[in-house]
Amino acid sequence: MVIQYITIALMGALASVLSNTGVAVFNDGFRPILPEYLEGRMDRKALAATSFAISFGLVIGFGIPVSLTSTIILIHSILLGTDIIGTFCGKGKKGMIIAGGLGALYGVGLVAGLQFIVDLFSKLPINFLGSLGQVSTPITIAFAIFPAVAVALEYGLKKGILTAGVTLLIRQIVTVFGSFPMGEYTISLNKDGMALLAGMVFLVVYAVRDKEGAGTTNEQLVAVFSEKVSRIRKNIPYLAVMGGLVACATSLSIVAGDPISLGLAANGELGNAAMTALARAIGFIPLIATTAITTGVYGPVGMTFVFVIGFLVRNPIIALILGAGIIVLEVLLLTYIAKLLDKFPGVRKCGDNIRTAMSRVLEIALLIGGMMAAQAIAPGFGLFVIIGMYLLNKFAKKPIVELAIGPIGAIAVGILVNILHIIGLYPV
Amino acid sequence: MKKIVVGGQMDKQEIAILARKIAGDRATVEIKSDIDAAMAIRTGAADIYLGACSTGGGGALALAIAILGLGSCCTVSMPGSIKSDEEIKKEVEAGKKAFGFTAQDIGKVVPIILSYAL
Repeated sequence: MVIQYITIALMGALASVLSNTGVAVFNDGFRPILPEYLEGRMDRKALAATSFAISFGLVIGFGIPVSLTSTIILIHSILLGTDIIGTFCGKGKKGMIIAGGLGALYGVGLVAGLQFIVDLFSKLPINFLGSLGQVSTPITIAFAIFPAVAVALEYGLKKGILTAGVTLLIRQIVTVFGSFPMGEYTISLNKDGMALLAGMVFLVVYAVRDKEGAGTTNEQLVAVFSEKVSRIRKNIPYLAVMGGLVACATSLSIVAGDPISLGLAANGELGNAAMTALARAIGFIPLIATTAITTGVYGPVGMTFVFVIGFLVRNPIIALILGAGIIVLEVLLLTYIAKLLDKFPGVRKCGDNIRTAMSRVLEIALLIGGMMAAQAIAPGFGLFVIIGMYLLNKFAKKPIVELAIGPIGAIAVGILVNILHIIGLYPV
Repeated sequence: MKKIVVGGQMDKQEIAILARKIAGDRATVEIKSDIDAAMAIRTGAADIYLGACSTGGGGALALAIAILGLGSCCTVSMPGSIKSDEEIKKEVEAGKKAFGFTAQDIGKVVPIILSYAL
């Protein structure tokens, strides 16, 4: 436990300092706003207000709810918070030190707070923690469908169905023939992982063959913004340590980079979590590279490859070193990657489609997962609450993020039956 | 006739289909990469930028903010909050050209934005 608190404290501290000094921020939309401040077109107060406005809702509405269903924290909860902390602390050395201190406290507070809630839930008369885990059950199976959805989005239904069909076929073949005896041991391939791999091969092949819209946009960007690129390069040592810490924290199962790999990792499927994180990282390259090049500000998790390292490498120290290494590589290759993207316009589109497809898969998988958990906690009653919440949410002035309805709903059902139990309306 | 470009990061196809339906013959709609879409606004080749992502301000507007400046961009919705009809009207009247929103709110906000911007 101690090492987890130390890691999260260091991560929170450094991320806040990086945000405070304008070296790196997590929110992709906040990155382009920083130059407005750095180049004197915006004052510190306005910068802090903006960072709060665009990040706070996400912490409450997205990061925390997704994190509550397991003990792994979605990285958004931490790094959107440190974005805000960093900009609220003043500039100069004093501001930097305050930012670091508050960031460390925030990180530790999140881990402790989450643990506190979990402990609190376990003391309730009707314990629903075990059932809550079912929220991520559909994700662990359905994640392999997202390449097919991404293919359908860009290249039409027929190719989408073809990809989905092959994905399913591979899954079935591996289920039946995926175990081989090797001397005393049996090697068994992971059916869902292999299915995902098959889908990704289709997606990548379609994307690389798609040359429509090839141009020199990024090459021009790199030329216009060369100063900004050298600003990022100057900060490589800090960025490397930051990335290393994130990889280390992922390896220690404290954090995950996205809800799908979080669900997989929570179920112990680390290989699949790594593969999903890898696919997502490919999807993020264009966005991170272009925002970094145009703003001179990087992201504390870079192109998100650090999570892949974290899931794959179980030794936290080695994860730290490799995570740092991958960030160094990303930054050094930044302009090269951007120019390469010009040659493969399909890959850029592919990135957008991967994100769309993943969120579609999550929407339905988390909703059904929420229903399964709610049904396990309180048969009948649970389904009523989730379906009701989903439908009524559409009328809300401030609607809950649809992704979060499953997890939040399942927790709400757990709390509700406990309240009803206490007043005698839910006997067990 | 006005020109609408769809940039941003997510659900571009869905936005484009909806925008085409609303705009009819009042505007053309084209899906572009976020950079190309923002450049089209900057060079005057297009009039309205629409973009979605999961946060409404990240991938949806990041490149638009970088290329056009914050003053031309507006986050119409983000998780847990949507601008009201009246607020969106004010943003359009203030001369905002690029609009970002969450993918979840496409059906709600795109009709309102276009009702004022077209």
